[in-house]
Amino acid sequence: MPLRLHRWLPPALALAAVALAARPAAAQCEGNASSCVDCHEIQRQRPVLDDDHPWHRDHRFGDLCVACHGGNAAATSLLGAHAGRRDPLVDPAASCGGCHADAPARADRYLARAAADGGALSSPLEPLGPPAPPAAPPAASARGASHRADRAFAIAAIVLGGVLAWQVGRRRRRAPGSLVGWLRAPRWSPYVAGAGLGVAVALTEGFLRRPLSASGAFDRLAAYPGRALFPHSTYYAHIMTPAITWHVWLMVGVLLGAFASSRLAHQAHASWLPDAQWVPRFGPSRVRRLLIAFAGAALVQLGAGIAGGCTAGLAISGGALLAPAAFVFMAGMFAGGVPTACWWYRRRS
Amino acid sequence: MIAIAQALALGFLFGWMLHKAGLTRYATIVNVFRLRDLTVIRFMLVALVVGGLGTQLLVELGLAHGLAVPSTRLAANLVGGVVFGVGMATAGYCPGTIVAQAGEGHLDAWLAGLGGLVTGALVYGLLQPHLMPRLATLGVHGRLTVPHLLGASPWLVLIVFAQLVAILMLALHGRARERT
Repeated sequence: MPLRLHRWLPPALALAAVALAARPAAAQCEGNASSCVDCHEIQRQRPVLDDDHPWHRDHRFGDLCVACHGGNAAATSLLGAHAGRRDPLVDPAASCGGCHADAPARADRYLARAAADGGALSSPLEPLGPPAPPAAPPAASARGASHRADRAFAIAAIVLGGVLAWQVGRRRRRAPGSLVGWLRAPRWSPYVAGAGLGVAVALTEGFLRRPLSASGAFDRLAAYPGRALFPHSTYYAHIMTPAITWHVWLMVGVLLGAFASSRLAHQAHASWLPDAQWVPRFGPSRVRRLLIAFAGAALVQLGAGIAGGCTAGLAISGGALLAPAAFVFMAGMFAGGVPTACWWYRRRS
Repeated sequence: MIAIAQALALGFLFGWMLHKAGLTRYATIVNVFRLRDLTVIRFMLVALVVGGLGTQLLVELGLAHGLAVPSTRLAANLVGGVVFGVGMATAGYCPGTIVAQAGEGHLDAWLAGLGGLVTGALVYGLLQPHLMPRLATLGVHGRLTVPHLLGASPWLVLIVFAQLVAILMLALHGRARERT
């Protein structure tokens, strides 16, 4: 098969663009969670967001720890993350003033509660005792050896991947039932493909402690223009800071995976309109497709922001952990989607 | 470096499966809401069950620590889901499938899809300080799971859930398939 450059160019350019924009990014733990939320809430080392203190109850709508407590939400070490930490109520104007102009008045209510709790305010910050120590680190020699082994395996994986891609690409579709024919098939049973995605979800949740999510990457990417357009936004200053996160790289992988699968099935073509169902209903206008697709994509991302995740990150990844949030989200998705689809495809006289 | 390689590999698997299941097609996504093509439901429920059993296995083997359970905030999950469903049924998109469609060469996904996602994220960024303090504080249950709620073993809950999914799939077998 001739290697047609123009087909490979767009994904390659996208990859290069992201690689150039990449910087050593911050704490990239649960989706877009800060280091604070990762350790305190997800790993449940002294969680606070579900307690009944009014200051936590009032602020748990966002990942706001650093805005009030200081510290470094991007550091992943215990000492680094707590450097510059402050007790928020000691100087409310400094800790709350970034968001609330009337900070001292608002803090009065909290001060009353803190006093009722026994005046935790006047006590110094509790010393940073290390949490339960993790398993002893392996001996230095063993670690060096595993590092070399990692490198050898990484090189082997890249070389073998190249050989495999070349072999599968070289052979035209073989008899049904052969491995190559299977890899080049345009469709698999949704059960088989779903099981494949389930494996990816389990690996991501189990080993990497984060959801396999799509929408969070776009919140991070939108924070680049967001910060420039809305310099006074508390959200972009404290909650959603711009970064090329792990989930952005995941999306680059999705782009490449869908490209490879469709390319092998001879389905990767440049096109402006979706499949056969679109044109009979909406006509052949490209502008019309772009407008409707733009509105739909914006609504999807807005909904994912409100709900706390999308079909992948909340419904599937959260559902795999049996979180009620996932099932409530799916119910809402159908409650919104069924009437909308029926309205678009209503019978017109 | 290793983290980026992991992300690319897992994303590759994700995108590959989205294309193979046919979820990069407008009709597949929209027709689930017209109850004419249940591919999306089959794909999602199987992914959910396999992902759940796999994660639980890793926990049991002592390989997984501290899972990223999403917060249950009933009002926000529900309202967000409704807005998401309206958008999904309009464009035939969800965030992951937009990227997968872009990989397939759909120029509408590159322009309108990715542009719409960034715009939607900006709209959320503007609404967040006004909306979320009200919405995300209704029906808050924290990082809750069904086994936690019921006090049951996660294995048993997963197995019963998998059986319910299997029975549903058997009942739906052959029905509403590709009837466009």
